[in-house]
Amino acid sequence: MNSRRNFLKQMFGGALAVGAAPSLVARALALPQSGSTEKTVIDMPGEDGLIVRSFRFVDLETPVEYFNTWLTPVPHFFVRNHMHEPSELNGDVANSDWRLTVGGEVDKPFGLTFSELSRMETHSVVNTLECAGNGRSLHRPQVPGIQWGKGAMGTARFSGPRLRDVLQRAGIRPTGKHVMFRGLDEVPGKVPPFIRSIPIEKALDSDTLIATHMNGAPLTKHHGFPARALVPGWIGAASCKWLTEIKVLDAEFVGNFMSPGYRMPNQPIKPGDAVKPEDTHPLTALNVKSVIAGPIEGARVKAGKVAVHGAAWAGENNIAKVEVSTDGGTSWNAAGLGHDEARYAWRLWNYAWTARSGDYTILSRATDSEGRTQPATALWNPSGYLYNAVDQVKIHVA
Amino acid sequence: MWHEPESDAKRRWADWFPAAALAVVVVLALSPWTFAQKPTADLPPGPMQAKATTSCLECHEARIILQQRLSKAAWTKEVDKMMKWGAVVDTNDRDALIDYLSVNFGPDQAAYEPPRTSVGKTAVKK
Repeated sequence: MNSRRNFLKQMFGGALAVGAAPSLVARALALPQSGSTEKTVIDMPGEDGLIVRSFRFVDLETPVEYFNTWLTPVPHFFVRNHMHEPSELNGDVANSDWRLTVGGEVDKPFGLTFSELSRMETHSVVNTLECAGNGRSLHRPQVPGIQWGKGAMGTARFSGPRLRDVLQRAGIRPTGKHVMFRGLDEVPGKVPPFIRSIPIEKALDSDTLIATHMNGAPLTKHHGFPARALVPGWIGAASCKWLTEIKVLDAEFVGNFMSPGYRMPNQPIKPGDAVKPEDTHPLTALNVKSVIAGPIEGARVKAGKVAVHGAAWAGENNIAKVEVSTDGGTSWNAAGLGHDEARYAWRLWNYAWTARSGDYTILSRATDSEGRTQPATALWNPSGYLYNAVDQVKIHVA
Repeated sequence: MWHEPESDAKRRWADWFPAAALAVVVVLALSPWTFAQKPTADLPPGPMQAKATTSCLECHEARIILQQRLSKAAWTKEVDKMMKWGAVVDTNDRDALIDYLSVNFGPDQAAYEPPRTSVGKTAVKK
């Protein structure tokens, strides 16, 4: 009787704790705590264990611990949508009304069916695709936008016809200076459509593609089926998904996602400073950057051999070296670079650390072929673009 | 208050049942399955919850808002941008909407912890 009463008291005591202090129960059950925490698991076919920044429209981030393979499997590849996905594009695109049109400052505008596009000569580019806003949540003061952590990026082999083959078939006029991409995203309200342009030189680069495949399989809907632009080494926003129109322009496209969107101040600014549009430039190539994929933040590892590992990339440049510090930045050690490499792809890196027990701040710092090195603090900007500070994780070695 | 059980077996059952039932309730309440049905999130309670739901969630889900940590000045810019982009907000409600967002999603609030997609269900629907 006594023991039963005590047991029931403990149970009801637990129930009271559930009502009064959920964090205690959450801690006991190792759930994340705080009122803003969701313990939801969302079924999304084809997307495996990704962080849901938004469900409608779809924005999914890759957890850093997945960055342990040179090619990121598609189910682990981040998704960044600005709008709602096209509702009409499903399955049998070859027999649909889908067309890719080429026009503007060209001699012979034309359109391609999917079968015609598929019959063109195919090229492959292994590219690290990164959202310009990757790491936005790490900027201080905080700025509006999708609050990406470190995983709005991934590396895949993209395949499809070269953009320049299509442009040359249309015959670019001397007035053609920029190439505009329009996708089939469905725009809600009076939101400006997601249209951007790239300079003609980048459009004519032999590595700029109209990609139809990713890691050897047709693009999935979330990644731009049936075709997307692939502008290697540049911010993800350059690589327009659900591509349906290519238009050669005599100047940079004028629209929200070229200005004020996706621009950086020409000079460093302080938070709160106003920036005139003429004192900004459009974002193009990615920064030099590295990320630690393991051990992850807050990890507890055993003393002895610990593999500190991750990935490093530099947009259109190559990675020259990656250094790791296990003492908060006092001393740095060269990491070994992985064998797999391609011009626009990250290098995996690894540092074999002999760890003694204690609390550590582990840092990684990449330097590229142009001598650019990750800064200790990223350059703050009003939209939180191109965060690339030295990466850091705090861990405990037992 | 409690009925005294006669046999040992019955007594054991009576000892366990309320505790076991409660344990099941607690586990279910905390379980991911309980919430797995609805993939989108809700805005927090408050005087503007209903109107913000109508004005904002027409075009995007609540998590776009829940994850922001912005000053009142920054929320003012966002609300005005969204009204320009088609969010239907009564002029009389604009200030209250900005207050609601600033109070709930200011720079000092704890970081929003997002959910994840399920693991191991990678089959793509054809």
